[in-house]
Amino acid sequence: MNRNSAASLARMDWSLLLAVVLIGLVGVYNLQSTSISTGSNIHLKQFYWLSFGTVMMVIAASVDYRHLDRFSPFFYALAVILLALVLGIGKEVNGSRRWFDFGPVSLQPAEVAKLSIIAALASWFNRVPRPAGYTLRDLVPVAALLGVPMFLILQEPDLGHTLMVLFIGLSMLAYEKFDRRSLMILVLTAVVMVPVGWSFILRDYQKDRILTLLDADVDRLGSGWHALQARVAVGSGGLLGKGHGLGTQVAGGFLPENHTDFVFANLAEEHGLIGCAFLLGLYMWLIVGALRVAGQARDKFGGHVAVGVAALIFWQVFMNVGMVLSLIPVTGVTLPLMSYGGSSILTVMVAIGLLVNISMRRTVF
Amino acid sequence: MSDVYLDSSAIGYRLRAQRLMVAVVLVFLVFIGRLFQLQVIEGDSLKRSSEENFIRTAVLPADRGAIYDRDLNRLAGNKPSFEVFVTPAAVKKPEALLAGLRDVLDLDALDVDRLREKLIEQRGVWRYQPVRVQRDVDRARVARVEALRAQFDGLTIQVKQQREYPQGETGAHLLGYLGRPPVDAPAEKGVRRPDDLLVGRFGLEQKHEDVLAGRHGFERFVVNARGGRSSDQRALGAVDDIVREAPVAGNDLVLTIDADVQALLLEALANYESGAAVLLDPRDGSIIGMVSKPSYDPNLWSGRLPAEVKQAIDDNPYKPMIDKSVRSFFPGSVYKVVTALAGLEEALITADEEVDSPGAYTFGNRVFHCHKLSGHGEIDLSEAMAASADVYFYKLGERLGIDKLATYALRFGFGRKTGLLINGESAGLVPTRAFHDENTPGGYQFGLALSTAIGQGDARTSPLQMAIAYAALANGGQVFAPRVLDRIQTSDGKTVARYAPQVVGRLGASAEHLADIVKGLERAVSDTEIGTATLGGIEGVRIAGKTGTAQVRDIDRARYAGEKVKDFRERDHAWFAAFAPIDDPKLVVVVFLEHGGTGGKDAAPVARRILEAYQARIEPIFPVASTGASTPRTSAGGTE
Repeated sequence: MNRNSAASLARMDWSLLLAVVLIGLVGVYNLQSTSISTGSNIHLKQFYWLSFGTVMMVIAASVDYRHLDRFSPFFYALAVILLALVLGIGKEVNGSRRWFDFGPVSLQPAEVAKLSIIAALASWFNRVPRPAGYTLRDLVPVAALLGVPMFLILQEPDLGHTLMVLFIGLSMLAYEKFDRRSLMILVLTAVVMVPVGWSFILRDYQKDRILTLLDADVDRLGSGWHALQARVAVGSGGLLGKGHGLGTQVAGGFLPENHTDFVFANLAEEHGLIGCAFLLGLYMWLIVGALRVAGQARDKFGGHVAVGVAALIFWQVFMNVGMVLSLIPVTGVTLPLMSYGGSSILTVMVAIGLLVNISMRRTVF
Repeated sequence: MSDVYLDSSAIGYRLRAQRLMVAVVLVFLVFIGRLFQLQVIEGDSLKRSSEENFIRTAVLPADRGAIYDRDLNRLAGNKPSFEVFVTPAAVKKPEALLAGLRDVLDLDALDVDRLREKLIEQRGVWRYQPVRVQRDVDRARVARVEALRAQFDGLTIQVKQQREYPQGETGAHLLGYLGRPPVDAPAEKGVRRPDDLLVGRFGLEQKHEDVLAGRHGFERFVVNARGGRSSDQRALGAVDDIVREAPVAGNDLVLTIDADVQALLLEALANYESGAAVLLDPRDGSIIGMVSKPSYDPNLWSGRLPAEVKQAIDDNPYKPMIDKSVRSFFPGSVYKVVTALAGLEEALITADEEVDSPGAYTFGNRVFHCHKLSGHGEIDLSEAMAASADVYFYKLGERLGIDKLATYALRFGFGRKTGLLINGESAGLVPTRAFHDENTPGGYQFGLALSTAIGQGDARTSPLQMAIAYAALANGGQVFAPRVLDRIQTSDGKTVARYAPQVVGRLGASAEHLADIVKGLERAVSDTEIGTATLGGIEGVRIAGKTGTAQVRDIDRARYAGEKVKDFRERDHAWFAAFAPIDDPKLVVVVFLEHGGTGGKDAAPVARRILEAYQARIEPIFPVASTGASTPRTSAGGTE
């Protein structure tokens, strides 16, 4: 056992941990700057969450991930129950119910649900192998597994997380082999769903956000305000940035949600292109590393979980950075390990723990 | 374990994982590209946007210079004034606050509605912008607003500099007032000025705007999204510009005017609705006092002008906002000094030559009347001037012709602006043959020279021009530019510039001829038999003066038909121009009463009161101390 653990540790992907630690520290450093102007100490809280997350990561890395395969239906059911409950007893903030309020801490079930969904999908792909490729009929259970939580999250409403679940699911599908005809039908359906989704699923404020992305200057104080101010913050940073703690967009209160959704804008303003490229490089390293872990996983379940974790981090970075850079509409998706928030940190850290877990137990070719 | 990869399928998964890696790297490259676009390519312009966001430039208004009289009494200065503002975002009970403000500040329904709209409908960051409720709130009301402030959130009181004219109406026209800059004034580029800037719009305030205004400073500061001053000003380091420039106060004007003289001039005009009075020092052209009636209160004009006051002034038939001291009117007989001097200088007459001066003179097919129907008989120049015998001057005008008359009128300074250049100063009019050919229906006719010789016809002069002209008679022929500005000094009293008297022309007449004219003028005041200006005389003082009664329409028929001229606009202008004492002239006084009656009965007594009051209250100028300055001299029964 001792020998075995030593061998596992030797196989562990240390570079992933280094990337996580560096991103976490950049995040605390960045939040420390926003703390100056807001007079809060959220960077310290963030540090405590990261520390707690590290403990969770170690736990997630230690217990053999194959137990997760067995318990995935239980975790999935728990996630669905929590998502349903939050619609009833969640705390209402700005017209949406996304949080359980436990006094000093609050929990966002949609964050935690992502891990359960990843596990459930991975487990399903593992149990229903189709070496010749999946057909559409095979995927009906997958659609159900994704659809139920998506429906519940959309009711909160939380478009960002709904899309996150969808994208994670699609990414995991992309890791599988498909029947050619089924793939084409899937793509066509997706194309058809865009206008349907626009008319029947999106709410007015969500449509506004999409429209203002196309022309943010239409209403400077309306929905385009956030996007415009984020762009101003990023652009005014220039190559080297204005310097740590000298970002005027945050200090002046022009940049909304500067410690959650728009942390990246703060980093961009104060540390410029150099700082942004450094952070994005770390994320890329982490995501590519996760995909490498997937390719090296000893079993299908592990491979799919790793792809799911890679997708989880990738799509969050994609939606958050894309939003700050005015490439995609404003959605309330946080930047993993950079944005302030316990639920998000714990989810990502546990996900990284699983990744380490898989990398430690990989097949050696 | 059954779920371990078979080697063949593992290769497929690894291949797809690599494809996903490529996709991820591509997306990150797109992000880096976008960052490069925003931060490097558009970096400068977005940086400016962020500066516009957080840096505001506040104008620091410069204190306007004061205006002093010759004894350094303050004629115009600044006093603190209070303005009440309300910030919509801070107001919690708008209706109760509106009701309170309405009571305290006497707001009308329109004001309240306008305010309610701003309080309730203002959106976004504009809710943080204070809205002015009222400016120039007096101290008693400020105290009540303070009480409101204790009850309601969102009220603020700001202190600003308000222009103040301690002498009120007495200096109104000369000093002027402040107002909003004219809308058509081109905005000077790069010049910062407060949003609610007031500039000189009338009088010396307007003429010397450059001296008085000073230079406004500015201050840059960091604001937050609410538009408030941020507690964190470090971001100013991002601007490599100047952050603060202190305002430079305007310089003060010290005038030749005497505030007490201004008051006594208005007092002397008390019985007349419309007119002007000028008191001038003939030795250097300094204006000691100059007023126009009716006057107005420049304090109101420079502050919050109540609508009913504005309406009353607009409706006043005597036009308070016109400065009659620099506008031109028909001069009447005060103009005869021009004809007399021209005749002497052109050797067309001598002072002793006696001319028959009956009640009427027929020239061509027209009869020219004298104001005295019975005529004056055979008279010499001094008698003609004393009695203002019109036919004497008709005949002289006939000999001179209109262009020779014009030559001498121009030498007196008529027909051009004196150089005071305030309040739309009029150049007046010296008619010439060319002028009539161009402007008179039927062109020039020789009879026009006769009318012009007695100050009728088309000649027009301003009271100020008349004062300058009589000053030239008093001082031996020097025509001065009127001097009102003695010096410019800084707010702490250091002289910046001094303004010396300025001679702009000479009568070019011999001393003898000038003495002949003065003799006639003295006789007009002192000769109780024939003088028209005896009511302007002061016992024991040698005064030279001339009355004028200018007909503003063809009154000949009406007057001799004994009709009473009821309508103000149809009454004669009354003039009196004089200087004293003759031996050593120190004062020129000109009284002009617009449609105010006759020179002898109306204008001359006003002038006498002015001289007496000056002697008694300002400075003794007469060699004999006039003990009974306030007792009017008994009328010698002189008529015009």
